[in-house]
Amino acid sequence: MNDDVARSAVRQTPRVHRLRGLWSNASNQYSIFIILVIMIVISSFMSPAFLSVHNFANISRQISITTILAFGETLLIIGGMLDLSCGSVMALAGLMAVLVYKATGVGAIAMVAGVATGVLANYANGILVTTFRLPPFIATLAMLTSARGAALLLTRGQPVYQLGDFVVWGQGAILGVPTPILFVIVVAVLTWYILNHTRLGRYIFAIGGNQEAARASGIAINRIKLQAYLINGAFVGLAGGLYMSRVNAGLPDAGTGFELDALTSSIIGGVSFSGGIGTATGTLAGAFIVGFLGNIMNLLGIQSYVQQVIKGGIIALAVAYDIASKSHRTRKILGDSPTGEAGRGTKT
Amino acid sequence: MRFGFKTLAAAMTVALTTAFVASDASADAKYTVAYLARSQRDSFAAWLANSIVKQAAKFPDITLTVFDGQSRNEVMQSNIENAVQNKFDLIIIQPYDPAIQLGPVKEAMGQGMKFVAANPKFPDDSIPYVDANPYQQGGENAKLGLKQIPQNAQVVVLMGPPGNPHSDGRREAWQKEFFDKRPDVKILDQQVANWNKDEGLRLMEDWIQAHPKIVAVISMNDNMASGAIEAVKASGGKVHPLVYGVDGTAEACLLIKDGLMTSTTLQNANDLAAKSVTMAHDILTGAKPDLHQMIQAKLYTKDNVDECIDLHKSIGDIK
Repeated sequence: MNDDVARSAVRQTPRVHRLRGLWSNASNQYSIFIILVIMIVISSFMSPAFLSVHNFANISRQISITTILAFGETLLIIGGMLDLSCGSVMALAGLMAVLVYKATGVGAIAMVAGVATGVLANYANGILVTTFRLPPFIATLAMLTSARGAALLLTRGQPVYQLGDFVVWGQGAILGVPTPILFVIVVAVLTWYILNHTRLGRYIFAIGGNQEAARASGIAINRIKLQAYLINGAFVGLAGGLYMSRVNAGLPDAGTGFELDALTSSIIGGVSFSGGIGTATGTLAGAFIVGFLGNIMNLLGIQSYVQQVIKGGIIALAVAYDIASKSHRTRKILGDSPTGEAGRGTKT
Repeated sequence: MRFGFKTLAAAMTVALTTAFVASDASADAKYTVAYLARSQRDSFAAWLANSIVKQAAKFPDITLTVFDGQSRNEVMQSNIENAVQNKFDLIIIQPYDPAIQLGPVKEAMGQGMKFVAANPKFPDDSIPYVDANPYQQGGENAKLGLKQIPQNAQVVVLMGPPGNPHSDGRREAWQKEFFDKRPDVKILDQQVANWNKDEGLRLMEDWIQAHPKIVAVISMNDNMASGAIEAVKASGGKVHPLVYGVDGTAEACLLIKDGLMTSTTLQNANDLAAKSVTMAHDILTGAKPDLHQMIQAKLYTKDNVDECIDLHKSIGDIK
């Protein structure tokens, strides 16, 4: 019966059949990027101001901070962890960078101080998760509160103004490319390299996929998890310094809710909360989807309350399409094609 | 590693005891006053809280304790209830949402608690208050805008949190004192930026893309205005709008001095704090203060901004 159907399909529409197969493969593998392209096309028609180099540079700058945070979340979530404290730690690290700059006048030292603060805070996260075996949700929730308190204590709740040349880190450009975008590229490449070309990355996937199997195969679970948190801390600290220099103020209340934005970008980009699944390129695409959404609605002058409703709906649709594409691919591999065509698995 | 729960419990006990003892340092003060701040995160609320603490220190018979409302109504309510439970003599409260905090405050008043509302007041004049008039704050800028904003100008508007009475009051002033008198002026867009600098920055970046001819930015506070100015600076000369704000923050004063911002009205937290704490002390000691007091908003432009800068230097906001 299945052979008759297959022969019939090949006889009737060979070219269409091949094209459908190509589309099916492409959409399964690259669904999130297809969504991104569709968004660009639709947005270009909706607003003449959308499709321009300046606007894309704008969007890239606007999402740079949360994208850097999202790469840290990606590493953690793939490994079965997460970080709810990245917004607060970002504020603390950024403030530290600002205060060090005020004291030294040297931007590089200030940025190192910010990164070090992020690493230190995430070292604490990692110790809580590995040594004290707190669930990552609880450990980083505690750090969320503590880091925010520390940030407010540092400046008695008051912003720090007059950042001078420190702003070049977040507002400058090299060869016409805004510096925050350059940092995003560096962090993206680093994350991609870690996940795809290092033993650390393989171990992170293994731990996220099945921690007990990873332990049985000899992977040092605690050490790998701690390393993931330290890398996340470096990203968070970097984001803090960039953020404060971009807004030209040390703001102790900065970053509130940024952890949700970072998680959203990761999840839209295909990172799975169950662990073991995710890509750096997917996270980048997810971040741009979120960025495009906000940008096109601002360009169209859509009221902010309506924006939030639409944003939630489109995010849900994007993730649903991605999940459906992946499910279809999984069914095809297992030989259960919903189109009725002959599959590769066992005949029923 | 075996986790020493006993060690942790002992450490927490020591920490909490130390905190309790430290907070009870002025046990011999006659009156205990709770200051319920709407938040200690946004710059103005933090300035007010710090000022309240400084003013309270001038009254040796008052012990002041500050509680952070975290910009959340349920936390404000808990703080009111806790202050009543802990038998404070008086509460100075900076409401987050006066309409919502009114109920718990009235209930506490029914149980004998005394209140002073500090910026903003409640929609019930039986509760003593010291406030700044948001209509006046917006109106002073709007009247200046009448003279400065050219014919057929295109403007954008930045709003504070939805339903916030100060944001709405300032916007009402702009409507009546400016937009109703200038139908030629077009509002390109009006969005909520929640008092935040980074939200003002992001909105202005997008507006500059969509509307190259923005003549003025009308902001309900200085934070959002300064964020918009960062976007203007980054645009490389694409737009040079007039920028109006409210609060008279240190940053705004410096931006006006540099010619990047047009004007602001000072909401002097030092004045608010001084009057609030004095009113609280008078109520506690049986004096009969004026229970409804307003501070005046002063307009600062390039002509007189040095005065504002000097104020901020004196309180350490500008070094």
